[in-house]
Amino acid sequence: MGELVAMVEKALELVAVGDRPDLSQRLRQTLERLADPDVRVIVVGEFKQGKSKLINALVNAPVCPVDDDIATSVPTVVRFGDPASAFVVAPREGGTRGEDGAPELERRRIPLEEIARYVSEKENPGNVQGLASAEVGLPRKMLANGLSVIDSPGVGGLDSAHALTTLTALPTADAMLLVSDASQEYTEPELRFLRQASRIVPNVACVLSKTDLYPQWRTVAGLDRGHLDQGGNAGTPLIPVSSDLRLYAAKTNDTELNEESGFPELVRYLRQEIVGKAAALQRRSVAQDLLSTADHLELALKSELSALENPEGLQNLLAELEETKERADQQRRKSSRWQTSLNDGMSDLISDMEHDLRDRLRKIQREAEAAIDSADPGETWDQFADWLEQRVASAVSDTFVWTNERAQWLAEEVAGLFSKDGVPLPLLQVSGTDGVLAPVEEVADLDRGKVSLPGKVLIGMRGSYGGVLMFGLLTGIIGMSLINPLSVGAGLLLGRKAYKEDKEARLKRRQGEAKNLVRRQIDDVVFQVGKQLKDRLRLVQRETRDHFSEIAEEHHRSLSDSVSAAQRASSSRAQGRGQRIRELRAQIGGVVVLRRAARTLLPASPAPAAPPAGPAAEVAAVRA
Amino acid sequence: MSGTGEAVATLGQDALAVYADDPQVSAELETYAVRLREPLRVALAGMVKAGKSTLLNAIIGEEIAPTDTGECTRIVTWYRWAATPRITLHPLEGEPVLLPVRRVDGRLQFELGSVRAEEVRRLVVDWPAERLRHLTLIDTPGIASLSSDVSERSLAFLTPEDAPSEADAVVYLMRHLHASDLDFLEAFRDTSAGTSGTVNALAVLSRADEVGAGRIDSLISAGSIADRYRADPSLRALALEVVPIAGLLAQTARTLRQEEYHALALLAAVDRTAREGLLLSADRFVRIEFSPDVGQEARAALLERFGLFGIRLACALLQGSVHTASDLARELARRSGLDQLLLLMGQQFQERAAQLRARTALTGVEALVRSHPRDGSTGLLTSVEKIHTGAHEIRELRLLSALRSRTVPLAPAQAAEVERLIGGSGVAQGVRLGLDDGASPDDVRAAALAHLYRWRGITENPLTPRTAAEACAVVVRTCEELVQEAQVRAHA
Repeated sequence: MGELVAMVEKALELVAVGDRPDLSQRLRQTLERLADPDVRVIVVGEFKQGKSKLINALVNAPVCPVDDDIATSVPTVVRFGDPASAFVVAPREGGTRGEDGAPELERRRIPLEEIARYVSEKENPGNVQGLASAEVGLPRKMLANGLSVIDSPGVGGLDSAHALTTLTALPTADAMLLVSDASQEYTEPELRFLRQASRIVPNVACVLSKTDLYPQWRTVAGLDRGHLDQGGNAGTPLIPVSSDLRLYAAKTNDTELNEESGFPELVRYLRQEIVGKAAALQRRSVAQDLLSTADHLELALKSELSALENPEGLQNLLAELEETKERADQQRRKSSRWQTSLNDGMSDLISDMEHDLRDRLRKIQREAEAAIDSADPGETWDQFADWLEQRVASAVSDTFVWTNERAQWLAEEVAGLFSKDGVPLPLLQVSGTDGVLAPVEEVADLDRGKVSLPGKVLIGMRGSYGGVLMFGLLTGIIGMSLINPLSVGAGLLLGRKAYKEDKEARLKRRQGEAKNLVRRQIDDVVFQVGKQLKDRLRLVQRETRDHFSEIAEEHHRSLSDSVSAAQRASSSRAQGRGQRIRELRAQIGGVVVLRRAARTLLPASPAPAAPPAGPAAEVAAVRA
Repeated sequence: MSGTGEAVATLGQDALAVYADDPQVSAELETYAVRLREPLRVALAGMVKAGKSTLLNAIIGEEIAPTDTGECTRIVTWYRWAATPRITLHPLEGEPVLLPVRRVDGRLQFELGSVRAEEVRRLVVDWPAERLRHLTLIDTPGIASLSSDVSERSLAFLTPEDAPSEADAVVYLMRHLHASDLDFLEAFRDTSAGTSGTVNALAVLSRADEVGAGRIDSLISAGSIADRYRADPSLRALALEVVPIAGLLAQTARTLRQEEYHALALLAAVDRTAREGLLLSADRFVRIEFSPDVGQEARAALLERFGLFGIRLACALLQGSVHTASDLARELARRSGLDQLLLLMGQQFQERAAQLRARTALTGVEALVRSHPRDGSTGLLTSVEKIHTGAHEIRELRLLSALRSRTVPLAPAQAAEVERLIGGSGVAQGVRLGLDDGASPDDVRAAALAHLYRWRGITENPLTPRTAAEACAVVVRTCEELVQEAQVRAHA
């Protein structure tokens, strides 16, 4: 890591000589990225699978509370920190609520040993304290290279609305560990979650926990492997571990037992596959940054140098440079292919996304209406509302996964059109759906259809009153009083009928009302979620555009610099020439050294195969 | 209590007369009539790998239902009493087929031959086990299974859409409370109880030995978790009780072998730290030898039969006061929670068997008559209504369910008392009145009378809300019956 920083700083010095603030800004960003490498691994699974204990055993410290009953209620991030420390992210006391109803958050330091008071189900059941998350810093070598492990609250049935929260946290993670214990093979909800998640997270690994407790864990592992292979997750590693053995091994310093716990394999996976790959990616992107900086610098320097060294070829050189500049400029224009395709693609994507969301929700609405028609919605409204919320949540998460994929695909398409091999893409994610559903209010309450006794009497009376009166009058003709046995009897009959009719009418009304509520709810979801997803997609669009425009801008700048440098050279006086040539040679030497150093960062084999197509290379191509 | 049963039987006869010319309806009515005479049907249901078959073996006291590490039960299987063992396969279409009775390591093997599991309606195992004389047990495939048609088969069997469930009561196994568990229990209550709205399910927190990672205090932990579930209002309304059970331990305890006892005794004699080292993980226990008399295969078998927790517990017991195989078996069974479950099944299901059966039959006949209206069916429906309102036991069950879902406006202490009186913890007299088993008939009578006067007072109090007063009227009626019964017994 240190050598990378040193190299980037060297490059910054070189850039400072020329007047290129654009290049130095990019390098400074690279430095920032190097200073804070964050590799996030999120641990998910149903509850009671041993997620918290897995993390405890991994870092060998009781940072996540463990209990025989459900333990974790708040997501906890474990990362490097020296000395050990703990924070909670909680609503600011007396703080105001933001525009979207989200409370203001603050990061509060807490004593490490009191962490259980904040994140455990016992002390903070269902997260009544409203904490957003907790953070623990530990001085562990394993965490030193930016690895952070996130403990998520267990999900009861991975298909619940709760699972959506977990799912939405995933796009920001580099890897996911799905924990399932060795007592049984995967269940349907687990596999479905895995399928969805593996479309969002780049790296997924499955952990088979509690192997110490179950003698048949090998059979379960075999079955799970089979399910993974069949479900299209053949490449996903399955790592059997025993947290208890690992903790015991750490206590007794028993390496053999540690080996048996299966953790070395998990640690190796995290170190090589996750952190290692992230570090390799980091190196590659630093190398790319350095190489392209070198290209840009070299172009101006070399143009001036060659103008100085053979002034007779100046016109040719200028023509070539102008020609390349013209081509590079095309990429800056609004009408360039990548810009058009980005704009078109994004509006297609937005309308597809809206259609997809509407389509899914319409299906739910139809199901809901059928359910309402089949029974009195008043009696089952609570369950019905739960069901509706859950179905909507899962539909939104499907749309979310799908949109995320399409957005990435589009960005890659655009990158392809920009024909810049190896250009590191910016963070192109629609980001989480955290709070997507927040502005949508809960399903409103429905009249339960229970009529109080006085109400019933009143309804009956309404009917029977007419009966008494009518028959009373009729029988009055034959000389009986208004209230007589006949008229009362008729009154009772009619009253009963009125009550029955009223009951039916009320049922119809309730059903109508329920349908209206469902329709309104779904409209709300389409409106709010559609708006948010649209905003996010626009953000992706903006970021993609800015990223590529910046590169196009850099090319333009380098090429026009080269042109003016070459022109300057032709007009400079002869005596200064030798001096300037020496200066330029020295600077080019520096650039060459930088380039050579950057090359060493790239993986050995593909380096010559894919040289970065910088402006210098383009000029070379034109010359040839 | 058999009055309701008789009334339903008569109703069935009447209905048969009305539908004599409709063979399909007659056949269905006939099955309800048969059901009234048969033992109570209790289904074991739950998510995959909850330990249904293991618990079934434990209840029967013989390892006959096949169990496996993978998902195992794929067909609804009935276990009922008969003098000679026999296995019958009932396909969806066609005549029932007899299967050969074959056992591997004691467990039955169902050889379906060319028939696929989807084409089988049910397997019926006739078995000469004492426990089955008064109880037909039904093993069901797990819900939330990976193959959705397997779980659909289970759901369709237990919660059919248009008829009462084939099971009169259900023991629901769960490892932790999931949303799907609640959904299932709700569906079972809705369909099996139909309009009478009763609770006839027991929830079992299964695999309790694994709750605390097999530590020696695991069952205590499991007990406190069960307490939490018991207090959970959503579950309370759906199940009469929550019992923690270590199914594997229960099964093994019921079938403990002498050589297993010897092996455990040898292990208990090993030095404590060494033994703890052995029991650190399942793999280590199989790998490391502790006595030349117990080979690797024997150790693996021991582990499979007891689990780590079972071995730990057995060692602790053997070091204590337990010194014979039968003592060990008894102690293990007691601690596994099986005894408590059997007791509850006795109190809640068996003692209520007649009324539970009558209720299923009643709901079935009613549904049938309603869907096939014809001359005379109105009369049948009137009889149904009469039985519904007249049968005190059914009203008790209904009130119990209302109490459980907290829709009766009574103070918590009162509600608890009502629940006990109407048989919420068991229908025996002593249990209802909260008396010891040894109470004399006179004591019982005195207690029943005291309750009667008190509840009559509450019922007649004009300040008691109407719904509560209705509930109290049921209690008063219960008390009256209790007094009457006590009087009869005192005279006898």
